[in-house]
Amino acid sequence: MREHLTGQFTPGTSILHRLDARAKFFGFLILIAATVCTDAWPGYALLLAVTAAVVAICGLPLRTALASVARMGWFFLLIFVMNALFFATDDAIWHWWILTLSVPGIVQGAQVTARLALILVMSNVLTCTTPPLEITGAIQTLLSPLRLVRLPVEDIAMILSVAVQFIPTLLEETDTIRKAQIARGARFESRRLHERAQAMLPLIVPIFLSAFKRADELAMAMEARGYRGARGRTRKKSVPLPLSGWGALALCAIVCAAEILL
Amino acid sequence: MQTMSTVKKSIITAVCIALCYVLPLLFHGIQGAGQIFCPMHIPVFLCGLVCGWQFGLLCGLAGPALSSALCGMPPVSILPSMMIELAVYGLIAGLMMRCVRTRHVYADLYISLIVAIVAGRVVNGLVNALIFARGSYSMATWVAGSVVKSWPGTVIQLVFIPSIVFALMKARLIPERYPKEVPADD
Repeated sequence: MREHLTGQFTPGTSILHRLDARAKFFGFLILIAATVCTDAWPGYALLLAVTAAVVAICGLPLRTALASVARMGWFFLLIFVMNALFFATDDAIWHWWILTLSVPGIVQGAQVTARLALILVMSNVLTCTTPPLEITGAIQTLLSPLRLVRLPVEDIAMILSVAVQFIPTLLEETDTIRKAQIARGARFESRRLHERAQAMLPLIVPIFLSAFKRADELAMAMEARGYRGARGRTRKKSVPLPLSGWGALALCAIVCAAEILL
Repeated sequence: MQTMSTVKKSIITAVCIALCYVLPLLFHGIQGAGQIFCPMHIPVFLCGLVCGWQFGLLCGLAGPALSSALCGMPPVSILPSMMIELAVYGLIAGLMMRCVRTRHVYADLYISLIVAIVAGRVVNGLVNALIFARGSYSMATWVAGSVVKSWPGTVIQLVFIPSIVFALMKARLIPERYPKEVPADD
């Protein structure tokens, strides 16, 4: 299970590591919007170039930056094949039973796959270059307009931050429980799908019990240290977004505008 | 159910959001397992049932969004409708647990769960038909996707969720809903 863990923060000194977390987070959202908006090949080429530049700048090993895409390879292949073979069109290259291979289908498959892969690489770079606490701060800034409707923004940001930090722990616990089940004869590697699915079911209750135990311990520790919710807590004076942050946001906005025009 | 502190409810919600990412990973190796077994629904229902509607709603919105951002599942194309469906699950489960008090834990859990499942599926069909897949979404598509294809997931939810809540109560990780009255000492 641990090999599924991608996007864990990797300390570094690159420009992206030093960039303000708020600028990185908002820039990431702008680039996602650009990726969703684009539907022309020049647009994809531009996004690919931007993503490649971001990966080069962040100083992470290529393997780490592309880890999430590599692990989802089968999924991308499935999406591509499904789009290529089930796209309803009149000008089919090849047709058999319910399967229809066509150029628009292949193009559609390639576009969907490219979009997903680009978003995955960008989100991986964001989480690899930003400490979880700074991401929480960025989420809090993003949610701050919701204060107007009296939503507890600080509490929501704290919950999201704890959720992200719990993922490695829960993956490790799940792996331990899975190994214990294998030792008892569970057939996770069976070729029969129903056997594999059946083997997963005994994992569910122990995973929840273990996760809730961890939650209980953390809540008790926080309360013992005087934590009574984020409301009313003092915080470090918030620093205005530096010039480098505005510059990064402007670059992302230019890319997004170019995607819309292309 | 006896009261739980807001801090504990917040942390349980955080754990449930994290489980929305971790549980589906177990099923990724099985083709189409997400739609058949619906593993992401379980933490959301639990969060709503245990922590209340506000936390269930947050879990339903944040769980799929976090999973989509970290591993691309659910894909961005179905993310909004899934977020709304799961938010309704958490919201209705929490509201029903607040309203329904039959003096039997299992009865409360099953009534809340079934109403939440039905409400979530109906809202999912409505938002797809009216907003996300307007014109191309039919009753047959809804029945095939939300009822026929996902029946193993519904059975798993009905079997496992009350059992998990009961196990959590037995392990004293959440308070008893109807605590037994201790006879007073003479």
